[in-house]
Amino acid sequence: MSTPSQTNAGGRAPRAWLVIARREFFERVRTGWFLVTTILGPLGLLGVIVLPAWLGQTTGAAEVRVLDRSEAELGAGVAWAVDQLSADVNAEPAEAGTSEDELRARVEDGDIAGYLVVPSGALDGETVVYWGRNAADMQFVFTLREVVNMALRSARAEGAGFSRTETAALLGPASFEARHAARAGEPASGTGSFVVGYAVMFITYMAILLYAVNVLRSVVQEKTTRAVEMIVSATRSNSLMVGKIAGVGAVGLFQLAIWALLAFAMLAYQDELLAAFGIAEGGFDVPAIQPAAVAVSLGYFLLGYALYASLYAAIGAMVTSDQEAQQAQTPVVVVLVIPLACVNLVVQDPGGTIAQVLTTVPFSAPVLMPMRYLLGGAGAGDVAVSMGVLALAIACAVWLAARIYRVGILSHGKRPSLRELSRWVRR
Amino acid sequence: MTGGPAALELRGVTKRYGDFAAVTGVSFSVPRGSIYGLLGPNGAGKTTLLRMVNDILAADEGNITILGSLSPGREASTHLGYLPEERGLYPRMRVGELLRFFGELRGLGAARAKERAREWLERLGIASWATNKVQDLSKGMQQKVQFAAALAHDPEVLILDEPWSGLDPINAEVLREVVLEQRASGKTVVFSTHLMEQAEKICDRVCIIAQGERALEGELSGLKREAAGDRLVALAVEGDGARRAAEAGPLADSSIVADYRDRGDHYEVELAAEGQADALVAALVAAAVPIRRFELVEPSLHQIFVDRVGAAAAAERRPAERRQW
Repeated sequence: MSTPSQTNAGGRAPRAWLVIARREFFERVRTGWFLVTTILGPLGLLGVIVLPAWLGQTTGAAEVRVLDRSEAELGAGVAWAVDQLSADVNAEPAEAGTSEDELRARVEDGDIAGYLVVPSGALDGETVVYWGRNAADMQFVFTLREVVNMALRSARAEGAGFSRTETAALLGPASFEARHAARAGEPASGTGSFVVGYAVMFITYMAILLYAVNVLRSVVQEKTTRAVEMIVSATRSNSLMVGKIAGVGAVGLFQLAIWALLAFAMLAYQDELLAAFGIAEGGFDVPAIQPAAVAVSLGYFLLGYALYASLYAAIGAMVTSDQEAQQAQTPVVVVLVIPLACVNLVVQDPGGTIAQVLTTVPFSAPVLMPMRYLLGGAGAGDVAVSMGVLALAIACAVWLAARIYRVGILSHGKRPSLRELSRWVRR
Repeated sequence: MTGGPAALELRGVTKRYGDFAAVTGVSFSVPRGSIYGLLGPNGAGKTTLLRMVNDILAADEGNITILGSLSPGREASTHLGYLPEERGLYPRMRVGELLRFFGELRGLGAARAKERAREWLERLGIASWATNKVQDLSKGMQQKVQFAAALAHDPEVLILDEPWSGLDPINAEVLREVVLEQRASGKTVVFSTHLMEQAEKICDRVCIIAQGERALEGELSGLKREAAGDRLVALAVEGDGARRAAEAGPLADSSIVADYRDRGDHYEVELAAEGQADALVAALVAAAVPIRRFELVEPSLHQIFVDRVGAAAAAERRPAERRQW
């Protein structure tokens, strides 16, 4: 017998990390949990599309009664101003002789949304008070204040000799909209950018956390079932770690892809979808989605996942049970949550120094950069620098984690101290 | 046994954990097509040695050569099968898929891995369980699946760490058959055990490790001959009168007998020199002692081991010295 024969016949052998990645992928994709979460995502979106439209249809305009104690017939003025300003509110003067207690009882019965008390000195600055179930609805309160303002101003104008028509012409509201200062040639609505940015950030954060924790659990499970020694005898622990991270990451991508496809389909056919629920109108104005923005978001999900998954894998290698893992992962969770707390710093000034620092630091960049990019605070150059730093951090994290992993997966004793940990890394 | 390069060769292999030397300068060579026993008490360093062969741990010093040219690593792993002492499988995987997974991990192509998995399931009589999850199997069946996982890729060298521990009698017999089959088909089997009797029944060669060092190594029959030197005799005589006569006469003759121990139903007699058996028979006959049994015996491996290294070294190393890494 000379040198041993190369790998056995029967097809080319796949690389070890691929074999491991495939196992991780199928073990997860076949579980009931995967099915449940994959279905729940689009169901949630369906709810987001249908519910507001349905609520908007059934609730209709908020019924408001006006208890007028002024001499200037401000109650009628309010009703008129509502007509001018808003379809969401229906205001009528309360029937003569109605007491405040009766109105409050009607509010409690759900008969009306609320009532407005216009005091006798309203024109001289005495406070107009609204009592209602929806007093916490900022949008409604804002509209109502506009309405009251207009009614008072028109009453004052009438006192000065102007007719209603003249007042309406004089005091008619401006048409106003806030637009976001994005990159040249890409005007976007301010709220739209924020909502999309926030959604992308939150999904990125959730996805990174969800799938990175899966890597941790996979490592711990392999240790507790003692299957790990069979694996590391067949391949290097680096391949095992890379395979695991790739396999679980592929599950994440697969699930996100299903969600994205269904979301696109649902939004594209939302009118038909709403019609199926018997709702004629409503729904969202879908913001135009830039391919570049999608690429940036996806890129940061993958990079962020790789960084956090390798950190979680290292933690999994250090601990011996799920309970221990819960405690040991706290530092990483904190690092991942910090960027969430810093969202406003990026939103307030997407192009500023703070935003730049936050989106360059590798731990916060994956969560905050897509948001900053969508808000127009970062150009291609910023993204390239940030991704470069992130890639470097991933290389370091993988190297560090693989060393801890190599020693840690065979340790079943107590958790290592920091001193022992540094010895693992140096060996 | 076939010739050519050794299936496995260790030279001066040393492994330290901090100040603790788990293995010190161990050398041995495993011929191809043999069954090789790595013996020693718990904590002697057997698992550490086998883990180094399987590239789970790296040796601090020395060389490990597999099949004449390979060092521990990915390529060598395609020729090695390994059953670790700590056994475990993925509980949620289906049996057939699990075996394919291990086959592919050890370098088989997908089609070949599938075929091998089926062969093993049939060989072990668990083919009908191929689509069941591992966690739904009985403990005994899981043990069988574990053997199959170690053998999934038809390895040239099979390494088993304490393979008989925790096995039920049926599976212990299955494993013994598998090991003998492997040798019959020219494969090499290396296993560790702290149970010397197991090794005696099946091994061609042994290496005894004590406190991380090699205490004894060689062909089993040669070791026994060498240790006994045809000087150990089991002697049984008829009746109390005969016993008294024997003890007073031939057994007391220091020119023939170096020492003897009463083992109840027989004496274990250590002859003064090799080839003195005839002289002892003649002396017994001359003394008219009726002989019921007279047999040249081999010492047990355990006896050889204790004689060679002393009872202290033969004992288990204290857990306090051992470190979990």
